Amino acid sequence: MSERLRDKVRGISQPLYSNARLINYYWQRARRNKLAVFGLAFIIFLVLLAAIGPFFTLDPTAVNFEEKNIPPVGFTIEQSVYSIETDELSTKEIHGTRRHPLGTDSKGRDMLAMIVSGARVSLLVGLIATGIAIILGTIIGVLSAYRGGWVDNALMRFTDVMMTFPFFLLLVLIVFIFGPSLAFIVLAIGLTGWTGTARLIRSESLSLRTREFIIAAKALGASDNRVIFRHLIPNVTSLIIIIATLSIPGVILAETALSFIGLGDPTVSSWGIILEAGQHSLNTAWWVAVEPGTMLFLTVLAFNFLGDGLRDAFDPKSNI
Amino acid sequence: MGKSWLRDYIIKRLIYTVIIALGILTITFILVRVGPSSPADKYLANLAARGQDPAQVTAAIEARYGLDKPILVQYADYVANLFRGNLGWSFSTSMPVIELIKTHWIYSFQLILLSSLFAAFLGMLIGIYSAVKQYTKTDYAFTFLSFIGISIPNFWLGIMLILVFSVKLGLFKTYYDTTLPLFSLDNLKALVLPVITLGTGMLAGYVRYTRSAMLDNLRKAFVTTARAKGLPERTVIGKHVFRNALLPLITIIMFDLGSIVFGGAYLTEIIFGIPGLGQISFNAIFANDYPVVVAVTLIGTFLVLLINLMTDITYTYLDPRIRYE
Repeated sequence: MSERLRDKVRGISQPLYSNARLINYYWQRARRNKLAVFGLAFIIFLVLLAAIGPFFTLDPTAVNFEEKNIPPVGFTIEQSVYSIETDELSTKEIHGTRRHPLGTDSKGRDMLAMIVSGARVSLLVGLIATGIAIILGTIIGVLSAYRGGWVDNALMRFTDVMMTFPFFLLLVLIVFIFGPSLAFIVLAIGLTGWTGTARLIRSESLSLRTREFIIAAKALGASDNRVIFRHLIPNVTSLIIIIATLSIPGVILAETALSFIGLGDPTVSSWGIILEAGQHSLNTAWWVAVEPGTMLFLTVLAFNFLGDGLRDAFDPKSNI
Repeated sequence: MGKSWLRDYIIKRLIYTVIIALGILTITFILVRVGPSSPADKYLANLAARGQDPAQVTAAIEARYGLDKPILVQYADYVANLFRGNLGWSFSTSMPVIELIKTHWIYSFQLILLSSLFAAFLGMLIGIYSAVKQYTKTDYAFTFLSFIGISIPNFWLGIMLILVFSVKLGLFKTYYDTTLPLFSLDNLKALVLPVITLGTGMLAGYVRYTRSAMLDNLRKAFVTTARAKGLPERTVIGKHVFRNALLPLITIIMFDLGSIVFGGAYLTEIIFGIPGLGQISFNAIFANDYPVVVAVTLIGTFLVLLINLMTDITYTYLDPRIRYE
């Protein structure tokens, strides 16, 4: 394949975001991957659930001990009940109700409402924190590659230092020091999660830097800023899309894990907080741990499927 | 030329490690210093609750920890203390942090070691099988399963294992029994669920890495040569392909240790109540025990640094093709 033809296939000659034909081409390729389509469908479902779900569900914070530990619809459990009059423990069958399709937790809160509101938290954290990390990583990667010399050296050594910290242990330390508010957790994940992006964008930019169209732009007298923002960054868009899709699950998992160990924002109902409560009621109400975990698992799976599908679609060497 | 390039490379690599180590210490120091509460505040709440005068306590603590000195002196003290193995005093357990770590590290170590062995052994086996039987139904099944293994959140997997095998089936205890002697069958049994919890994600990753590393080598010319010589397929796969796939695999396994496994072990310990370093950090968070939380993160980070250094040097030594000038 000639150099020019390859450029055309990869969209180097025209940035992806402004090239409708190319977007359509990639979409046709991605569509052939059924798992990626499933991933995209689930993500759309999740976004809708998070956006409009809370208007249709009950109040996720409403505590009602009369209705505690109700199983999901279709399930029946035996619960021991203490009666004051007879001073005896008796067992009573509790059936799932239509009012609480996914059951209730040990405080009588509606599981469906909590999971929907948790989806909102997870998606917000996932999208915003990934956004921060990707922007930071892109700036650092491009700067490093474009400037070279001591700037490259300093930025890459800093990246090495940040990469040495085990991601989760660093997050635990930061959130412990600065306190668990959702805004801060998002910021902490964003400010620590950029290292991989920076490395990948740097190596991609390094190879782009010597390409004809960049040299031509420079020869025509374009300023550094113009070369970086008009020519370099638009041409790493496909890489950025792949990295972002594949980073989101890690970010969502990190927030859930922080909430799970008690470092989450106590004012929001994150899936991690429900899971933590679920672990302590495995004997009495298994669904409290099963439901949010299943959602978390499907969310991570969906983003991984989509990210992998996109990577194959963007890769001119793969035949799909 | 001999091996002089290797010596030069090792020296270079050591200097680089020291620079990264200083970077790590500086970032941690800055984090602790710019945080909204100083270590003194965290002690203060505890001591004030016992009826002591807050102003006096603050002054005493600041003097005790050198918080009244200039910031650069504090930084130098901090680095010097760490080098002497002085990680501070754990308030909640009333002992030096280093002592706390000496009694608990073995639990994290056994969990991580067993999980890594389990994942590496099984992962390589499945990966080799998948690569040799590429595009068969079993290959597709393993590839799909490895996708699920990578995506399943390990702390949720742990809870589900407890729900099924401990609560419903009663095969295992719901909590790790700390009274068991370390080298006993009972202890091994108690670690089955935690090892699966921590190991599944790694296992799935290793299946994918092994499979692609094997496929990379399967099409190389030397493999065709080996087959043409009439070597049995077993020898071709085992001695020629796998040996060449092994080196990059080991690097990935080592890299995973720091990036994924330490975080996973932290959560696994909390779920099963294993008294390792993750568990003591977790307890320290609730007790506001500053030095312990900092120490556990620092130890994890320095272990990664050390592992990276060793991997790089061993790799250079083992692979004769690598030359750094």
